[in-house]
Amino acid sequence: MSNIKIFSGSSHQDLSQKVAEHLGLELGKVVTKKFSNKETCVEIGESVRGEDVYIIQSGCGEINDNLMELLIMISACKIASASRVTAVIPCFPYARQDKKDKYTFGFQSRAPISAKLVANMLSVSGADHIITMDLHASQIQGFFDIPVDNLYAEPAVLQWIKEHVPDWKASIIVSPDAGGTERVTSITDCLNVEFALIHKVRKKANEIDRMVLVGDVKDRVAILIDDMADTCGTICHAADKLISAGANKVYAILTHGIFSGPAISRINNACFEAIVVTNSIPQEKNVKQSTKIQVIDISMFLAEAIRRTHNGESVSYLFNHVPL
Amino acid sequence: MPRRLLVPYKSGFPYSRPLGACYGFSKMNVAKSGYRVFSANSSAACTELAKRITERLGVELGKSVVYQESNRGPLALTPVDSETRVEIKESVRGQDIFIIQTIPRDVNTAVMELLVMAYALKTSCARNIIGVIPYFPYSKQCKMRKRGSIVCKLLASMLAKAGLTHIITMDLHQKEIQGFFTFPVDNLRASPFLLQYIQEEIPDYRNAIIVAKSPSAAKRAQSYAERLRLGLAVLHGEAQCAESDMADGRNSPPSAKSTTVHSGLELPLLMAKEKPPITVVGDVGGRIAILVDDIVDDVEDFVAAAEILKERGAYKIYVMATHGLLSAEAPRLIEESAIDEVVVTNTIPHEIQKLQCPKIKTVDVSMILAEAIRRIHNGESMAYLFRNITVDD
Repeated sequence: MSNIKIFSGSSHQDLSQKVAEHLGLELGKVVTKKFSNKETCVEIGESVRGEDVYIIQSGCGEINDNLMELLIMISACKIASASRVTAVIPCFPYARQDKKDKYTFGFQSRAPISAKLVANMLSVSGADHIITMDLHASQIQGFFDIPVDNLYAEPAVLQWIKEHVPDWKASIIVSPDAGGTERVTSITDCLNVEFALIHKVRKKANEIDRMVLVGDVKDRVAILIDDMADTCGTICHAADKLISAGANKVYAILTHGIFSGPAISRINNACFEAIVVTNSIPQEKNVKQSTKIQVIDISMFLAEAIRRTHNGESVSYLFNHVPL
Repeated sequence: MPRRLLVPYKSGFPYSRPLGACYGFSKMNVAKSGYRVFSANSSAACTELAKRITERLGVELGKSVVYQESNRGPLALTPVDSETRVEIKESVRGQDIFIIQTIPRDVNTAVMELLVMAYALKTSCARNIIGVIPYFPYSKQCKMRKRGSIVCKLLASMLAKAGLTHIITMDLHQKEIQGFFTFPVDNLRASPFLLQYIQEEIPDYRNAIIVAKSPSAAKRAQSYAERLRLGLAVLHGEAQCAESDMADGRNSPPSAKSTTVHSGLELPLLMAKEKPPITVVGDVGGRIAILVDDIVDDVEDFVAAAEILKERGAYKIYVMATHGLLSAEAPRLIEESAIDEVVVTNTIPHEIQKLQCPKIKTVDVSMILAEAIRRIHNGESMAYLFRNITVDD
């Protein structure tokens, strides 16, 4: 393929390397470093004039630093006369702050819509196209004025379930909160299995939530599905609830495995058979700390999306199929 | 007309006073208060809500004329098309203007009326133009779907260009739509009114269960269930409308693969999603079922859901929704179905449907809209209006 360059930010070099290998290319030379006053410095090491540039950076780890680095790289490529700059962001930062609805003390606080701000910043820095995966809410596509491709991890998740859960035909898919029900039913329709959901009941304003299971999981294999695992408080409570309601085994499948704070210790103490995440966020450290974590590789989705976007082919094939 | 006016905040509402009373100012529009309320609708049914709001505020509706002008071609004998015309009959220079727009069946005309009036006010030097649009149109088209357009985003851009500086709306279909706008959006909630209706008008509501008609409504249903301390059930299955499908269902056949490093077997196609028959997750036997949603438009889904709930043992079925579009055959279908009552707010005019079907009841929400207008004009905090709202509502 000609006229294409792929650069990697410092957030997830491993994934970028895999993506480049799938495409049969070498990663572009770029030097990212910090000055002594912690300011980010980016130098593109090769010519990008007239090229189709893809910058792979995930919103994980030191999110603000990585976001700033991405913005600076996009701007650098743009002013170096790249013909088109696409930002490939497997885990979109600030995606959970996408509406003005945080309630503290029962009042609607003056919360910003940070996802909109990030969208504005990406557009202003010069991005022409965004490729991302499993956005927290698909409406975030509308925050941009440039095209956004929101890829789905669903085909990979379905493939994992069929290969690794022995009796998946008799399993039950569970949503850990009422908001994720739509995501879960889309998977149950593909697999032809049933679903259940867990909803929280708050007794009083500051009391601990009680979780109520709606649906029957007795003697079944339960698979919890959600888009993010951050502190893992919700899914660990959900797993306890499912075991006490009679489930045989509990799996958890989450697209973005952030695992911050006490997450790893919570997982190790909880009764999961396996926790499956994609490698949209680097997982080497987490896999070492917990044997229950398994990783689905999504580099071929991103590689295929990049290839198709560059060649001007349709990307929608990826919404239903796992590329090889 | 509701049987009596429902006043949700019975105690401690700082400015509760009977309709029509004034508090210090005369009923005439005083230049000192510096705000005017206009209605951009051309039909009389739609200006009903605007009249109620202005009564509560103690001001008069601004003088303007909005009509569709038939645009005869030079040689045509019959009108070719109708263009919207707006004339503002009084000075608006330097004032805060609130445009109240209800969206009836004829959506595109209403949108055009709003845009034209907003631009007219902008070019007449109004200071701030605040749109009060209780039901925001095109809010269901807020995602990318099958190579379509995100119309809600387009509408937001158009409203910003036309001169709006602020929007007050009620129960947006998806809260993320707030991010489509470049100016502030106040998303009020009708749920306190609907909850009060449940507590006052449904005799044994403690034996009820809140039901979500489809998985996408589960979050809203849960917020009601939590505040009423009731259980939750979710329906899922075939008769659900297809738009809750995969958000971006673009599909193309795979093109010929160009040479890459790998080659080999193609993975088998995933089977197409078959919709299962309607299932109920949760137990509704021997209870009152309350279906909760934000928009009631095409009632076939609700009718099918009511059938299933009746079969599973629910003895009474209510439908509570904020926006009652109730289009086409809705009144007849509701009348013939197992639903006992359909309760909607007066954000959308539905007098004709009420005449056809006595099961439809109305809850008046003009109070919260009037209060929002007053607080925004006076620069006061709106936190009081969101007191009992949970995160999921």
